Amino acid sequence: MKANPYLPSLAIIEGVKEEVEGNRAIKTFRLAFQDDKKKNFSFIPGQCVMISLFGSGECMFAISSSPTQKDYIEVSVMKHGKVTSALHKLEKGDTLGVRGPYGNNFDVEGWKKRNLIFIGGGIGQAPLRSVINYILDNREDYGNIDIIYGARTSADLCYKDEFVELEKRNDVKAHLSIDVDEEHWEKYVGFVPDNLLEVNPAPENAIAITCGPPIMIHYVIQNLLKLGFKEEQIYTTLEMRMKCGIGICGRCNIGNLYVCKDGPVFSYDQLKELQGDI
Amino acid sequence: MVDQKELINAVKETVSREDVRYIVGYEEGTYGFETAPSFAYTSDDARKFIFNPLCTKNLVVYPILEEKLPLKREEQEDDRKIGIVVKGCDSRALVQILQEKGLKRENLVLIGIPCTGVVNTKKIKDKFPNQTEYTDVKEEKNHYVFSIEESVQKIPKKELLADVCKECEYPNPVIFDILIGEETEVETEPTYIEVREFEEKSLSEKWEYWKKHFENCIRCYACREACPLCYCKTCMADFLDPQWIRRSVDLSENTAWNIMRAFHLAGRCVSCGECERACPAEIPLMKLNKVLEKEIRELYDYTAGLDPEEKTLFGTFNPDDPEEFIM
Amino acid sequence: MENAIISKEKLPELFTQIIAKNKLFAPVKENGFSLFKEVEKASEIDTSYVNTRVPPKSIIFKQTETLFHFTPGKKGNVEKIPEENEKIVIYAIRTCDAKAFALLDPVFIGDFEDPYYSARRRNSVLIGLSCNNPGPACFCTSFDDSPASIEYVDILFTDLGYKYYIEGNSEIGKKFLEDHKTLFDAASGEDQKSRDKVEREAIGKIKRTMKLTGIVEKLDGMFDHPIWYESARKCIGCGTCTYLCPTCHCFDMQDESTLNKGARIRVWDSCMYPEYTHHASGHNPRPARMNRVRNRVYHKFNYFPKNTEVFGCTGCSRCIEYCSANIDIIEIINKIGEVKE
Repeated sequence: MKANPYLPSLAIIEGVKEEVEGNRAIKTFRLAFQDDKKKNFSFIPGQCVMISLFGSGECMFAISSSPTQKDYIEVSVMKHGKVTSALHKLEKGDTLGVRGPYGNNFDVEGWKKRNLIFIGGGIGQAPLRSVINYILDNREDYGNIDIIYGARTSADLCYKDEFVELEKRNDVKAHLSIDVDEEHWEKYVGFVPDNLLEVNPAPENAIAITCGPPIMIHYVIQNLLKLGFKEEQIYTTLEMRMKCGIGICGRCNIGNLYVCKDGPVFSYDQLKELQGDI
Repeated sequence: MVDQKELINAVKETVSREDVRYIVGYEEGTYGFETAPSFAYTSDDARKFIFNPLCTKNLVVYPILEEKLPLKREEQEDDRKIGIVVKGCDSRALVQILQEKGLKRENLVLIGIPCTGVVNTKKIKDKFPNQTEYTDVKEEKNHYVFSIEESVQKIPKKELLADVCKECEYPNPVIFDILIGEETEVETEPTYIEVREFEEKSLSEKWEYWKKHFENCIRCYACREACPLCYCKTCMADFLDPQWIRRSVDLSENTAWNIMRAFHLAGRCVSCGECERACPAEIPLMKLNKVLEKEIRELYDYTAGLDPEEKTLFGTFNPDDPEEFIM
Repeated sequence: MENAIISKEKLPELFTQIIAKNKLFAPVKENGFSLFKEVEKASEIDTSYVNTRVPPKSIIFKQTETLFHFTPGKKGNVEKIPEENEKIVIYAIRTCDAKAFALLDPVFIGDFEDPYYSARRRNSVLIGLSCNNPGPACFCTSFDDSPASIEYVDILFTDLGYKYYIEGNSEIGKKFLEDHKTLFDAASGEDQKSRDKVEREAIGKIKRTMKLTGIVEKLDGMFDHPIWYESARKCIGCGTCTYLCPTCHCFDMQDESTLNKGARIRVWDSCMYPEYTHHASGHNPRPARMNRVRNRVYHKFNYFPKNTEVFGCTGCSRCIEYCSANIDIIEIINKIGEVKE
């Protein structure tokens, strides 16, 4: 008898970190499983979890922490709809339901020795943070690392203090940007795809991983191709409205694949072959 | 009977106008006694147009269904007129929408059809259950005439006529730009006899009746989508926060849905019968709508969808309005 | 026991025996149309129907299902519901609806197992009733099935006038014949001939054909074809075609609660609604009716065959018959077949 895939395990919120304030607020929740069996909850960067607030509903989120961090998982949540607004009212010590992990993952094994370029926009940095932190914890296995990340304004940037730490390291380069100029901003001003051209990473022995709003992903991929990246060197992770998380309820399909089960990570050559509404 | 040639010519002429985008009318359906909505973008397309007593659908829903999707670069919005073939009840639905400012008159061209009633397609299907080919029906005095497998079948009109048509007061379009043929003479005054009979029943009898129907509701919202007057941007049934009606499909929520929808149509429903026709669970929805229509007529002497210039019933207040039901 | 015969007088006794040990679902007539309902006595059953309005998928994959109960709020807790293990017998299921279970099984019992579906499915016996009078839009024969196909049911009944011809298919079916053999007589060669004649005549009554050769590959190249706009123009966007479809399996999940208790439910959903794919951010991957109608057709005739090697349609004709805008899947597929590449 297989376990009931719809039943969430209980997890306690160990901490809430406010990443971004305002209308498009983002908070990162640190969750620890209550059930002993789940203490060994294992996942690979790129995978997602279904988070429930009982009475409000359930939403799928990318796990934004690294699996090298064994004691907890983290998810970063932008306040948008009914469930996420309710989640934003929670505090340390509150209980959530967690199902998962779901979906496929970034090929962190296959990428060993390669140079990695991460290109994120807004809340799209969440799944990238998981793989970045994993790779930094296994730093010697990988080549050069560039992180290109941008948001509308400096206030909309996620994981600000983590970037401050990253910038101090000399084994990784971070390239931050904001869309519109602000006083005291000394880094790049402009859209993420343009910053990518500015950074101009070499395609040789490289893998590019991008996540962000659909329109950003579109132009990032175009620019990566311009820079000489091959389709199979480009990876993205997609988002869809989801309910079951296990490929039954139907809504997250792109062509004959379900993003929840067959995704969310796709290489661009896979994605190009897929006919479907994205 | 509507002269087919006259209809086709009117459609051809209208669709050829520079300020008209397309016209929606009826064409032969794909099997049996079905007719289908037909869209003429060119005068050639107009040749498919028909009108006969199988043309049940209220087509006024189509301009409402027009989707305003984001324009592509250098694409301009097409603001040419949409033409619709309308029967009496259909035209009244449109008048109601015009009153509510849901559509603009200047964006529409109306090809009016004086109607002599449409059939209840389910009743024909019961009579001829194996009819695969599209089968035309003609009206002859008080009979419908079908040609089925080379034999001609005559069936008294009252056996097949849709219930809503039996007491129709407005078979002629109340607004139109072109009228096809002569106006139909109006013979009936509504008696609301069915409503009155139902009102005689005890509360528990009434509940038993509705219970057995609402239990079968599958909440597909065909009633809502088929109704030209159900055009709210977000239906109360789709709200999640607050959730007025739960998604659970059970007697309680189904009752809430059907009753709330009926109330939202009070003083607006024009008795075209489209909701009942579209319902796959055969819930007699017009029975609800007719009660409200009768109440409103008695209370306010008001009939929906007659004059585009008039204000909506619940958009106005009259010092003489009865108000004994207000706390 | 080999193939058998039961006289119609003995049928009520058979049902009484079934009801004693199982939940029996069978077609009943209510408000002028047929529906599968749980019956308590044989006299409720009415088999004078072409097909039921709502398909019997609703018995196994319920329109509303409670997944579990919970304590709502920020100190929430989960409470499992006991697994159902009652024996279910579905009597008088048609070929098209029985085949639908064969199509749904890999969806619900695949990489993950849906415990609600699988428990009922495991505990169910399907007794088919050959369809002697297919409806005007029926087309099961287009999928090489017959109104009297036996392969999707455990037991198949065929109405021969004053008696039924009974065939057992699966182990369960053969055991069923054995268990109730006192009610049956052995079938003769003549009976077999009558049964085959009934089947031939029923096949002869199916006049409509969906031309399926090469459709999967054809659709691969037609994603952006104008045909989708033409088909979708008529669509009013209700969920009738999907809710009445025996193979549609989409659902929504919702929390329904009062102050101190709640339940997570799942309820049928439809890809015909814009809300179905609407992201909280406002983005909608299928914003127009064109996208949604196209998805329905692709799901049945391209995605399903790609994932499971069978079409996701059984030819039951409900989506054609109950569409209020005469959107006709046979016509759409045949038109696609005619498009010049």
